[in-house]
Amino acid sequence: MNSISASASDFLRAEHVTMRYGGFTALSDVSVSFPKGQLTAIIGPNGAGKGTLFNVLSGAFPPSEGKVIYEGADITGTPQHKFARLGIAKSFQITNVFPQLSAQENVRIAIQALSCRYDIWSPRSGLKAMQEQAAQLLDMVGLTDHHHRLAANLAHGEQRSLEIAMALACDPRLLLLDEPTAGMSPEETVVMMDLITQLASERTVILVEHKMKLVMGICNRLIVLHHGEFLAEGTPDDIRNNDEVRRVYLGQGNH
Amino acid sequence: MSEIPMNTGEMQVSGRRLSDLVKLVARHRVIAVLAFMSVFPFIMPYEALAVNILIYGLFALGFNMVFGYMGVLSFGHAAFFGMGSYGTGIAIVHFGAPWPVAIGLGVVVAGITAMIMGAMAIRSRGIYFAMVTLALAQCVYYLIYQMSDWSGGEDGLTGVTIGEIDLGVVSFNLLDPTAKYYFMFTFVALAVFIFSRILASPFGAVLEAIRENENRARACGYNVQLTKWITFVISGLFCGLAGALNAIHLSVVPIESLHYHLSGQAVMMALLGGMGTFFGPFVGAMAFLLLEDVITLITIHWQLFLGITFMIFVLFFPKGIWGSILHWVSR
Amino acid sequence: MDGITLNLFALQLFTGLALGSVFVLLAVGLSLIFGLLTVVNFAHGAFYMVGAYVGVFVLGLTGNFWFTLAAVPVVVGSMGVVVERYLVRPLYGRGIDYPLLLTFGLGMALVEVVRIVYGLEGVPFDTPKELRGAVDLGFGFFPLYRLFLIGITTVLVMVLWLFIEKTSYGLVIRAGARDPEIVRVLGIDISKVWLIVFAIGTGVAGLAGVLSAPMRSVIPDMGSTVLVEAFVVTVVGGMGSLVGAVVAGLLVGVVVSMTSLFWPSLTDLSMFALMAAVLLVRPQGLFGKKGLMG
Repeated sequence: MNSISASASDFLRAEHVTMRYGGFTALSDVSVSFPKGQLTAIIGPNGAGKGTLFNVLSGAFPPSEGKVIYEGADITGTPQHKFARLGIAKSFQITNVFPQLSAQENVRIAIQALSCRYDIWSPRSGLKAMQEQAAQLLDMVGLTDHHHRLAANLAHGEQRSLEIAMALACDPRLLLLDEPTAGMSPEETVVMMDLITQLASERTVILVEHKMKLVMGICNRLIVLHHGEFLAEGTPDDIRNNDEVRRVYLGQGNH
Repeated sequence: MSEIPMNTGEMQVSGRRLSDLVKLVARHRVIAVLAFMSVFPFIMPYEALAVNILIYGLFALGFNMVFGYMGVLSFGHAAFFGMGSYGTGIAIVHFGAPWPVAIGLGVVVAGITAMIMGAMAIRSRGIYFAMVTLALAQCVYYLIYQMSDWSGGEDGLTGVTIGEIDLGVVSFNLLDPTAKYYFMFTFVALAVFIFSRILASPFGAVLEAIRENENRARACGYNVQLTKWITFVISGLFCGLAGALNAIHLSVVPIESLHYHLSGQAVMMALLGGMGTFFGPFVGAMAFLLLEDVITLITIHWQLFLGITFMIFVLFFPKGIWGSILHWVSR
Repeated sequence: MDGITLNLFALQLFTGLALGSVFVLLAVGLSLIFGLLTVVNFAHGAFYMVGAYVGVFVLGLTGNFWFTLAAVPVVVGSMGVVVERYLVRPLYGRGIDYPLLLTFGLGMALVEVVRIVYGLEGVPFDTPKELRGAVDLGFGFFPLYRLFLIGITTVLVMVLWLFIEKTSYGLVIRAGARDPEIVRVLGIDISKVWLIVFAIGTGVAGLAGVLSAPMRSVIPDMGSTVLVEAFVVTVVGGMGSLVGAVVAGLLVGVVVSMTSLFWPSLTDLSMFALMAAVLLVRPQGLFGKKGLMG
């Protein structure tokens, strides 16, 4: 139906994905692919189905129809908790941390999920390597001074950074970010965008974003959805010059 | 507290000392509990009350793993306490099993009950879980009630006596209240040690993660359902041990050991003491049983007092006694 | 199957429906409160018991059963208003477990208050004169009072259904159950809706109490088992679903009644077996929405 061909080089691919809630169709026969090592943004106006596509790709729920292929394997319907072990990590649109635990413990728990999930006997304090790794990740996302603060007491932007650090804990090959700058101040947004660019240099990143201008400068590719359907894809320049996109998206109010 | 501003420096110092003490206690929580409990019978009005606090403290401790640490409210823990009691009781009464075997059997039976109940209830989330566990536990109640040849039905199971205990080096009689206390204390001490190890383990961190944010824990890569089930079973083992000890303590197993009112008692003790804190369940059990002891001297309507007290705690002191102390000290 | 067993079967079916009627009333109240307030009312059994005792009191005062039947839901519902306004409301937004814990404590206190007033012993509650005796249903004689119970439950459920589905107030309730924000945006005070729904739920529980008073003995502990039965029915039917409450209530009633006919010793266990089966096959309950369950 569109330019996507099922080439073997595709890292992640959605094939004819449809999502229905009762009588409402949130996504209708969407087929898109994400090449390895690129920063792709999924954009579209409100109600375009970005969030639904994100949830399907990240395994929050299986699609009503269609398949999700990751590194050549069908991962449709794989339980959410197995995604981290597949090397797929995500951040949520709404801030999602462990509020009453310290920032470092937040990240350490995310790291621990890869190696010891059911060890009920050895003391936690012995997991020195994990703690150091957690500290490094916190430094990396700019939370150097906040290792021991409760996540609940961090500022909004800091919580979002903490979430990125947690997502990085499994050293993901694929990072899915759902509106990472939602609710952030302009200053925080700039810092976050820098961080995302940096992360994208080492792995495949898929970003869902409402504000088109924000992602134009940093991403390699854009996918535009509209009313739950695939509308366009291409480089930022392609999209900027696409009349249809202009009509449904840019014309509707300057984002 | 103080209206004289000049005193604040001094107060901070004493506050720091106090919080240092609390930190010390928290760091060596097993030793602190055991040290307190080893002298406990001497501060209680009578030993039987001390034994009760020991047993119900253990019961509330086990329950607290699910409620306080993992954040899942179960109203079915009476089933584990009760099956621990009946397992031990039936082994002694019907098979003449020696006491170590009987206690072990009680714990195992409670664990199996928790496995089955957990597997059925764990698929239900949130608030549903409390209802489902309550109903399943009540099912166990009727089941045991029906098996009156084994369980004694309505009258309960009588004759759970083990009398003289000969350990080779020492021998003592459980009719001696002090000996009985320290006999029970040994088991509870072991359980408290194991419990503390589990909480301090990586698995303990997963419990807290689930309590804090189930979805996030899942996204991190934890199998939340399986973790919940395992925790439910471990918690059931502790409650089963409490039940097993209670059967020996009372020499009978009343059918009420399985009733959901007992589950409610575990809930109340954990909340009164402070859910999600290590000492909370024992503090709660102590407050609960001491109050019961005092109030029932004055009036038979202890339940009215209890119901109102519990509502006051839910409304105004949800952190419980020990939780509030911790909060106050750490400020 | 010969004629006699068939008749017995039919009679037992009706007995089950009468038993189920009480379950329906209990579960409808529980489900309504949960559907809107996401509060599991652990004092539901206690309100049922209080309903029976208020019935005893009012009947003793007036001697009029019909007046009693009208007065009980009003009195118990008013108690519900006070409870929601002053005890449950401060707990909204504090975690879903707190209202549940509070109502648990409340239930315990209510039972003890009744014990103080009426003592531990049961009090008699006579079947009203007009409803004594039995009617010939063609396949056997069936107690008139139980037939009346089935009838009044049917009427009540119809009225509730019409209220919720056809009135503008019901529209607000349905909208509120989906999303309290929507109702707030419309400029309606959602807390008032919650208050009324809590009152209706407890009032219906009280009515169930007084209605079953002539059949079950009126004792302070009567709500304790009933609470468990109401939970079983709600789990079977699906939390927050009125249709589920009705279907499951009748189903559980019939299952219990049939079990007592064929395997008397398993009567107490039958409803739990049904619940276990539902949990395994359809954990959200027969009519429950998926969202509540994992």
